[in-house]
Amino acid sequence: MQKFKVTFLPDHLTITAEKDSSILTAAISAGIYLNSNCAGDGTCGGCKVIVNQGQVKSQPNGIITAQEKKNNLYLACLTAIQSDLEILIPDSSRMDKDIQTDNLGGDATIEPGDTLGKNFGLCFDIGTTTISGQLVNLNSKKILGTKTAYNRQAAFGSDVITRIVYAAKTGGLEKLHNALSGTMNQIIRELVSEHKVDLNAVNCIVCSGNTTMMHLLLSLDPAHIRRQPYVPPANFPSVLRAAEAGIQISPQGLLSCVPGVSGYLGGDAIAGVLSSGIYQKEETCILIDIGTNGEIVLGNRDFLVACAGSAGPAFEGSGVTSGMRASSGAIQKVSINKNDFSVKYSTIQDKIPRGICGSGYIDLLSEMLTSGIIDKSGKIKVTGKRIRSSDNGREFVVCFKEEIRAQADIVINEADIENLKRSKGAIYSACAILVKHLALEFSAISKIFIAGGFGTYLDIEKAIRIGLLPDLERSKFIFIGNSSLAGSREILLSSQAQAMAEALALKITYFELSMDSDYMEEYSQALFFPHTDLTKFPTVKF
Amino acid sequence: METQLVLEKWPGVVSTVVIGAKKEAGGSRGNTVTIGGQNSLPLLFKEGAIPHKPIIAFEIWDIAPQDWPDELISAYGKAINDPLAWAEKCVNEFKAELLCVKMQGTHPDFGNKSPEKAAKFISLLLSKVRVPLIIIGSGDDAKDNLILPACSEAARGERCLIGCAVQDNYKTLVASVLADGHSIIAESPIDINIAKQLNILISDMGLSLERIVINPTIGALGYGLEYAYSIMERARLAALSGDKTLASPFICFIGQEAWKSKEARVSVEQGIIWEALTATSLIQSGTDLLIMRHPQAAQKVNNYIENLFKDKE
Amino acid sequence: MALSGLDIYKLLPKTNCRQCGFATCLAFAMQLAKKTVAIEKCPFISPEAKSILEAQALPAIKLITLGSQESKFDIGNETVMFRHEEKFRNPAGVGFIIEDGLSDTEIRERLRKINQLKFERVGQQLSVNLVALKQNKDASRYLEAVKLLLDNTTLPMMLMSKDLAALKQAVIISQERKPLLYSAQQENFAQIGALAKEFQLPLVVMAQDIDQLRRLTKELNGLGVNELILDTGIKPLADKIWDLTQLRRQALKRSNRALGYPTLAIVEQTDPYLEAMEAGAYIAKYAGLVLIKGWSSWEVLSILTLRQNIYTDPQKPLQIDPKLYSVGQVNRDSPVLVTTNFSLSYYTVLGEVEASKIPAYILSVDTQGMSVLTAWAAEKFNAEAITKSLETCGVKEVIRHKDLIIPGYVTMISGDLQDQSGFRIIVGPKEAAGIPAFLKKLN
Repeated sequence: MQKFKVTFLPDHLTITAEKDSSILTAAISAGIYLNSNCAGDGTCGGCKVIVNQGQVKSQPNGIITAQEKKNNLYLACLTAIQSDLEILIPDSSRMDKDIQTDNLGGDATIEPGDTLGKNFGLCFDIGTTTISGQLVNLNSKKILGTKTAYNRQAAFGSDVITRIVYAAKTGGLEKLHNALSGTMNQIIRELVSEHKVDLNAVNCIVCSGNTTMMHLLLSLDPAHIRRQPYVPPANFPSVLRAAEAGIQISPQGLLSCVPGVSGYLGGDAIAGVLSSGIYQKEETCILIDIGTNGEIVLGNRDFLVACAGSAGPAFEGSGVTSGMRASSGAIQKVSINKNDFSVKYSTIQDKIPRGICGSGYIDLLSEMLTSGIIDKSGKIKVTGKRIRSSDNGREFVVCFKEEIRAQADIVINEADIENLKRSKGAIYSACAILVKHLALEFSAISKIFIAGGFGTYLDIEKAIRIGLLPDLERSKFIFIGNSSLAGSREILLSSQAQAMAEALALKITYFELSMDSDYMEEYSQALFFPHTDLTKFPTVKF
Repeated sequence: METQLVLEKWPGVVSTVVIGAKKEAGGSRGNTVTIGGQNSLPLLFKEGAIPHKPIIAFEIWDIAPQDWPDELISAYGKAINDPLAWAEKCVNEFKAELLCVKMQGTHPDFGNKSPEKAAKFISLLLSKVRVPLIIIGSGDDAKDNLILPACSEAARGERCLIGCAVQDNYKTLVASVLADGHSIIAESPIDINIAKQLNILISDMGLSLERIVINPTIGALGYGLEYAYSIMERARLAALSGDKTLASPFICFIGQEAWKSKEARVSVEQGIIWEALTATSLIQSGTDLLIMRHPQAAQKVNNYIENLFKDKE
Repeated sequence: MALSGLDIYKLLPKTNCRQCGFATCLAFAMQLAKKTVAIEKCPFISPEAKSILEAQALPAIKLITLGSQESKFDIGNETVMFRHEEKFRNPAGVGFIIEDGLSDTEIRERLRKINQLKFERVGQQLSVNLVALKQNKDASRYLEAVKLLLDNTTLPMMLMSKDLAALKQAVIISQERKPLLYSAQQENFAQIGALAKEFQLPLVVMAQDIDQLRRLTKELNGLGVNELILDTGIKPLADKIWDLTQLRRQALKRSNRALGYPTLAIVEQTDPYLEAMEAGAYIAKYAGLVLIKGWSSWEVLSILTLRQNIYTDPQKPLQIDPKLYSVGQVNRDSPVLVTTNFSLSYYTVLGEVEASKIPAYILSVDTQGMSVLTAWAAEKFNAEAITKSLETCGVKEVIRHKDLIIPGYVTMISGDLQDQSGFRIIVGPKEAAGIPAFLKKLN
């Protein structure tokens, strides 16, 4: 096989690649992660690159415009290497490598670098879209620091199912595992280096994530997770050497996974139950994770039921036009003037807006509804200088590129709204179906715990207005940030917590929604703002 | 100890829709047709008000139908080749009290009649027959958005029922219906949620719920009848329980579906019974308007309705 | 009142021991609430809990078996007022009333025609269930007529007579068929009840008034007769529908045991159209057994089809046999369209292909009755499944070309399907209604 040299700019990384292999594959081998929500099928358009020099052969597609072709833009996934190449990667094609020091909820304090302690541990929340890691001093039980990063597995698909399919391809499981362990190791390296901790003193790591993530971490075949009868090969992976899972801590260091309940309800939900404490409460509570898998747990100390609403990554900023993670520069608050549709917004850390994060979208949709820009089905029904047509339906400009000095406007289009509507519909209806199956009413719920990595705060009022959350007394809602991370930390610090997690995993009754005929009905009803049944949202007035 | 009857008391009521306008109301119809207004489940007269009977409308086209089965065409004879004669036959010979005209000739594949010609036809039809009118497009969304406003305008003042609006294409028709004083048929694909959502979107545009009739999209006997049947039962239960967004009368296109079936083409009796039993089964699930094709089937069903409502009005 | 899953859960041990086969006690409780599983599966349930649950598991409407051996059928055990709440369980029996005044030849001929009333629709066998013999003449004629029935049909029987002596004789010669007796009324319930009890036969109880009916059933229960069917007599259509509705409500909403039996309705119409429409109304509205007089094939087919529709389980779609179907005068160049084996999907495509007048093949893939998009999401209508189906049905041998038309909604599988099957994939219209125009363009 003929080999060629491919140089990637501006990284200045050169790699040898075989003729006819794709530019995307070469980039991944070089450690450069491009967007590929569609796992390289050529339909999402996220991996555009510029071929500065060299010969390529590209497959026809409906993404690259004539203008772009003139400018030597190609889809990396559909373009085959035919000679030595020099490739320029635009920022927009890069997966966000942002690694943040966010303190996502919880009430622990941050210790400024205790380097003499010899016993450290890590707890990780391994989300489909976002991974968070926390370094903890096991002696003092204090948190040293937290970092989050986008899960690099996104290069192989933005959702769990696409990744499970990819895992079945030759070498797929390995690539997925490496992307995951790679992300985790990078977080670990940055944490220990920042807090001047010797990696050899990090002795254990507790991982909490959905079942697919756990399988991929342990390099176990996840194929059966999505086939009936949904029995995954391992629900309770035992403790093992971290090195066996490709995680670099102390050579004797151990890795354990928070036990899960089923194919789609993993340790992260258990960890959430643990940290929110609903299993100890007398009154009925509900825990809602506004994340990609949309796990919901309903119950109290007498019973616990759960389901996964498969909300998709829209609220984590993935798969929507101007979406981004909840990090510096993300628009998280929006208000729109009813008369002229002018927009006021605020961003995380008050930086120049780079995109919109989950809480920003919740605000935005609510404001668009209130100001009459969209109708209850999410279609834009007005005209104005901020409204124009696009390839994905009509779009509303949140920030003009001139005012933020960027290459492109920050917009939301009808396809994005449809996407967000489905996400919020999935979460609301997952809650509703649990409540229904137990022949309860929403009013019987005393506390609603909201978890998720969509932002540092949540406007409950607006979330109710768009029908994401049920219309209940506002004082019942408690925002708890990343409950999966908090729960895995509890397990790291306490063997009782570990035992409780195992007991909970056995006790929770899981409802598989895809086999639930009532669920489809609830879901269809929830595909309206706020809901097809307006009587369910009595405080929402138009 | 006497058996206590189980009697439901419903807080909701189905809205009342009037089709047709006589001279005093600004139209030129000889009669009007009123549907809806129920405060009880279908045919349960002892439990609440059922003020109006289901009404049969004869279906005619603005062109001669090409692929109707012989049994159906022979029922009308030569008149079927001339829409106006056909309309008159329905009213004069078969005593139709309501007509439903499908503007099939405007479809791009079946004549592509212009909006002007369509409007002219409607005006002519309105002058030939004095019964209230239902006007249906050809089903080609883009063309219907030109045709139906033209027909709506030509029929202004006659309080027609015009259709069908669908979830992805309703704004144009709602605007016309609002402007010209008609009522609208809101069509959903055997989906109760879409039916609700569409009603909400239409009424958000300013058309009152009293001017909406729901087409749930039926399947004929043996061809998915039970889907629409159950959607209608559920919707009617919701309406009576107080859900205003589903409290509309129903319209079912009986003839169109029944005569598609292969059973209907086996013999003339089987064809008639197929259409008739489709009709009466849907009366059981609450239909208020029945669009029928075979005059004998219509007559049998009318007979059935008369029996049901004898001494009840 | 039915207990909810959570209510039942509170009565269980809550140890999650999994011996019942479910992962948690709550999961088991949810199934108990739906009556899909027996309480016996839990080895640790307390006796008190068991008796509470057993009481609520009794059917609100008794299950009655009519006939004997192969032709017997069940009615009753209905649990909902509307089919969409769950489903209607036991399809209403459809039966024919023959009067003994007809001649022997007429009776034989009638029975011959009734025996032939068997149809196949959408992969199901539709057939009639019962023949009722009504006495108008004297006892000896009645007995002759009963013998004719016994000799000429294997269908379950109903014996309709006011003459107790004649009835008894008829029962004696037909007892092995377990005939249904018609009917116990205020004047005769004791004697006819005794007859039913002696021969262990089901019995119709008839009274115009619901309250009277309730009293009669109580009396009959007192005599040890429990296999009952209720009839409120011949009434105008709307009144009958009211009675049937009321009786179902009494059983389900009031747990009125005295009225917890299936119902019967007799249609008295001479016009076959009116007869079919009325029978259809009773079938839709709660009757367990409907009796008519007409026997023409076109009328009965329509009634049985209506019954099939009403009694379809809303949660389990009707499926057809997954195979290659030909429509019209096909040849080796005819187009091939692929769809699922969901009845409605298949028949819709069939209807449009027929309407196009272009002969074609329709390949129906086994998707366990799911429609196109649902099946695709569940991976039952993807490249693998369709390729397998093409191979199993030997499509390559039947046609000369290698084109396959797929529904427009699953265009995303084209690439994979083309690779795996070796067929050239043509993306068809999204809606079946577009098929005729599409096929014309293809030509």
